[in-house]
Formats: sequence, structure tokens, C-alpha cells
Amino acid sequence: MNGKVGNMSVQEMKKDTVGLTKVTDDNLSTHVARSFDLINFKIDRKVESIIIKPNLCYYWDSFTGYTTDPRLVASIIDVLREKYGLDKVNIKIAEADASAMRTSHAFKMLGYERLAEEKHVTLTNLSAERTTTKKVSIMGKEISYEVPESLLSADLFVNVPKMKIMSATILTCALKNIFGCIATPRKLAYHPILEEAIVGINTILKPHLTIVDGMIALSHFPVKMNLLVSGLSPFSVDWTVAKIMGYNPNRIRFLRLARQERLGDPDEMQIIGENLTDFKNKFPHVNAFRLKWQNKLQLKLLRTYSKIVDDVIPPFLET
Amino acid sequence: MYNCKHIEGVSVTAVADQSKKLLSKAEGFGVKKLYTDYHDLLKYPDSLDAVIISLPNFLHRESVEVALEAGLNVFVEKPLAPTVEECEKIVKCVEKSGRKLMVGHSMRFLDAVERMKDQVADGHIGSLETITAEEILNGPFSHGAVPSPIPEWWFNPETTGGGVLLDLGYHMIDLFRFFAGDADVISSCLDHKMNLPMEDAAILLLRSKSSNTKGIINVGWYQQSIFPSFNFRFIAHGNAGFISTDQFTPKNMYVHAIKEGTKNLFRKATGRKIRALSYTYYYEQYIKEMGLFFECINKDLEPPVTALDGLRTVEVISKAYLMSSP
Repeated sequence: MNGKVGNMSVQEMKKDTVGLTKVTDDNLSTHVARSFDLINFKIDRKVESIIIKPNLCYYWDSFTGYTTDPRLVASIIDVLREKYGLDKVNIKIAEADASAMRTSHAFKMLGYERLAEEKHVTLTNLSAERTTTKKVSIMGKEISYEVPESLLSADLFVNVPKMKIMSATILTCALKNIFGCIATPRKLAYHPILEEAIVGINTILKPHLTIVDGMIALSHFPVKMNLLVSGLSPFSVDWTVAKIMGYNPNRIRFLRLARQERLGDPDEMQIIGENLTDFKNKFPHVNAFRLKWQNKLQLKLLRTYSKIVDDVIPPFLET
Repeated sequence: MYNCKHIEGVSVTAVADQSKKLLSKAEGFGVKKLYTDYHDLLKYPDSLDAVIISLPNFLHRESVEVALEAGLNVFVEKPLAPTVEECEKIVKCVEKSGRKLMVGHSMRFLDAVERMKDQVADGHIGSLETITAEEILNGPFSHGAVPSPIPEWWFNPETTGGGVLLDLGYHMIDLFRFFAGDADVISSCLDHKMNLPMEDAAILLLRSKSSNTKGIINVGWYQQSIFPSFNFRFIAHGNAGFISTDQFTPKNMYVHAIKEGTKNLFRKATGRKIRALSYTYYYEQYIKEMGLFFECINKDLEPPVTALDGLRTVEVISKAYLMSSP
């Protein structure tokens, strides 16, 4: 990176720098390269394996705001190869099965099979790989994970999450995408302690780089934000994304837990590049209380009603 | 099973399912006889009057035939079967058995459709000239409505027998037939927006030979719908006016649910029968059709939707597939 980023020289930059890059045209690789430069991303070690983890939580493509745009992943591959000279390195795109999603279908339906063919990279189902059991204790809760060994040994682990609201945690982005790396398909089992589980897995798996697909983000509906958020620390990225979405990060429980577990420190982070407020004004804010409790309240009322009246609740509404 | 709870004189006595989780739900519902293979359930037909078949498409023909041969009346979810040949076999089997078979063409029993049908029959829009029917939803990719994760048979054209045309298109074609009398395909356009091996979007141009009514069918699985939105509309255009399901569908589903729920509370408090599932609006059709099926058994009537209706709908779909094949 040359001399200055925004108004700040490289020497002045704090460790946890988060970069905001506006995607202004179709030349995505240029914007990806710019987002790497913003955070002064450098590779100072030998890299023989790269794993890129997009968010493919279900079968809806990136235009719905649900999943990572394969064009972004393609551009990341291009930049890593061309700018960092990693053209001979084996690159894997990895995702694990989830309670409702099977990776084999998601890769095909979301255009990742085509991408892998075009870019000569490998697709990996983390749920089918060798795993190792890891245990952590978060807020006194013992949590056990099946962690794919390839992620622990990758020379370069790139986290490419999507920026979304989520009723259980208010927002889902960088830290939650790492939760998606757990090999166990039935991740619903973690949901009673979801926030602790998100923080716990992030104490084990540490991506070297995070670049958020904020080109189309998800509020109550998808919204074109044309934004890339880059950072070395997933915690700092999420802290920034929370602000963009109009939330006070201190009031997001999993971020508070992550801070307590020393995954990051907002006092040690800085946001550079584009003006955060411009994106904040663009994102349709959803009230956190409404997001977290509306569905639960509806279901509770419905259950009470059905008990009194002896009416039927369709299984669809129960889930 | 849930719906049967509200149909007078009906009790669910046996359930067969490969899923132990669903069997345990059935047990919690008070069902005593539980089987993992439906053939075992059908070994004791004397204790049963009818079966409800809600199996994957590729198992419809076999299971319907086994149930009819066991002397039982059958309610089978749509499609009757994925191919014309299978449907024809079922039609013959029904005739031979002398039992009743009703196919789950549930959208005929949607409140808005029933009211439209009455008004068209009463001449309110003049002569029926054209119909537009569209249903663009998330199909099998709907969380909750389909078991999670989506069963593998949904991803295989061999086991589904088709894509959205056989799924949602089936309903729209049936509604066209219901209003226009019969249906033939003039043109068919299928699309693959989600990289699936079967079509996930389809547009058909239909014509009724008997009434000369024309129709446009537009269906898709590609839309990520969020409750309470339900992207379905059916419009009948006549020479004296038009009528649409949008005119009868509640504008705000929450307000509708509160209103209908409150009415049920009063019904319950005054000892009257509740109108089950009316608060959901769209789900009430399933109770209505099931109720009619059992009424037809009790009163020895012809079911409102027969195997022949299923066959005719699949014939249209089959022709549409042929017209779209390269």
C-alpha cells in the first residue's frame, strides 16, 4: 500500500482497522483490491493453502441478500492470484451443511460449481472433512465443536460473510459466518446458546482476512448497499456492521460476549475509507426488540389461542 | 392428521411414516397404531374407512393402488401421479375398486376462489373470456412447510416427475379447468433460474375447447416469500367485468387473524363449533377439502375432485413438457 489511506498514513493505522469500500462499477476486482489496501492486508508468510468461506446458508442467491455473491468470491480469487502472486496455490471454497441446507445443492444452485470450473478452484463440504473435537467454556457454558482440520491448518483463511439481520442475534455477519464452519450439520442444537456458541467457535477459528459482501444486504428486504467491509478482525468488522445497520454494538449480546472473551476491542479499532453514515442512512433499520421478539410473541399468542379454542396450528407456523 | 381433528366423526387411528420424529408427533396426537411402512398399516383394512396419502410424487401410484385394492377410500395429495400413464392406471383402479378417491386440488376450496366461482356462475362478469393465474412462491424451498433439510427426492426429476409446473402449475391449471371447463396447451415456456435439473419457472398459454376461454399461467419456485405474503392471484376477465382473488383476500393477514380468532373465541364461549384454521386464511382450504372427502364417503357421493380431474391436469402438464423439450 502506498503512503496514505484516507487521511491516515500506514504507520498511524491501528491494528484493528476496518475498511469501507464503495462498489461503483462492475469492475469488482478493483474494489476488492482497494478494500485489501485500505486495511493494509499483507501476506508475510509462505502460503500453500487458501480457504475461502462464503455464507451459503440456504438456496436463495445473493440478490435476495441471503448468500455471498459468487462474483465477489471470484474477484477475491483474482486479487489473491494477481496482486499477491498466489496463482500456484490451491484454493478451496468451503461451506458446511446446515440444519436446513445441504452444501452439495447450495454450491450448484448458487453458481459456485460454475465459479469453481471457471477459476480452477476446489469446492469443499466441511461437514464431510476430517474434524477434531474442540471444547471451550463461554460464560460458564461448556461448548463442544467438531472443527474441520483444514480450517485450523489453512495458511490463508478468508471469511466472506453477508450482512444481514437475524431475529436470534439481531445481526449476522463475520463472527456468525465462522459459526457456519462447524462441521455438525444440525447447528440448531446450538441455538439455545447461540450467542455463546458464536463466540466460542471464534476463539478457535481465526480467519486471516474478512471481506463482507455488503453489495446487497438484508434488512426486512434486500437492499443494494454497494459496500464491501474489510478487516483483519471479524469482531471489528461486526462492530462496524452493527453501526451501519443502525444498532448500538454494545447492545448486541454476542458482540458484548466477544469483547469479554477478548476477541476484539472497539477502543483499539478504527474505520477508514468511505463515510459510515452514508451507508447507515441507506440501510433500512429494523428495531432490535421487534426483530427479536415479534415472532416469539406471535407464536406464544397463537399457542394460547389454540389452547383456549382448540384450534389447529399448522406445523409451518410452529417452526 | 391435524386437520382431521376438526372434522366431525373422523378419528385418526393409524399413521405410517419413515420418520420416527413424525411418528412420535402422531403418538402425541393420540394415534395408537404407528408403522414405519405403509404396507403394514394396510394389512388391517377392516379397522379403517379411508387413508390420506401424503407421500412423495413417485410413490403415489403404487400407494394409491395398494390402498384401493385393500378396499379403502383414498384421499391423495396432488399431483395424482407424475405421468399420464400412472394417472390412467389409477383411474382404472378406482373404477375397478368401487371406492372413492379424491385428489387434493385444495385451491378450489380457497374462500376467494369459491366466491369468485359463484359470481362467475351467476353471470356477474358476463361471458368468461380470459383467465390469468399466477403463483410464484418458494415451493419446496420454504422453511417449515417442507421438512428440513429438504428431502433429496425434491432435487431429483426422476422422483418428482417435474418441477414447478407439476407443483404449483398443477393448481393453476386445475383452477383454469374448474372455471373454463377444460384445458389444452397452446404454448409453453419453461425456465431454470435456480440451476435445478427441473424447471423452476413456467409460463403457459391455455385454451378451453368447450368454452373458448383463454388463459395465462405464470408459476415459479424462485421467489423467497416471507409470511404473511402469499403471491397468488387468479383473475377472471369477462365481457361485462372482471373478478380477482385480490378482491376477496384479506389485505392485512394480522388483522384478519385477530378478527377470525376473536370470532372463534366467541363461538367457543357460546358452545358453538369453531371455524378451524380460519385465522390463517390460506390453510382453511385444507380442512374444507378434507371435510368434503369424508362427507362424500358418509353420503355415498362423488367427490368434488376425482381421479379423472387429476388425469386431465397431468395431461396438460405432460403436453407442456413435450412442447418445451428441445
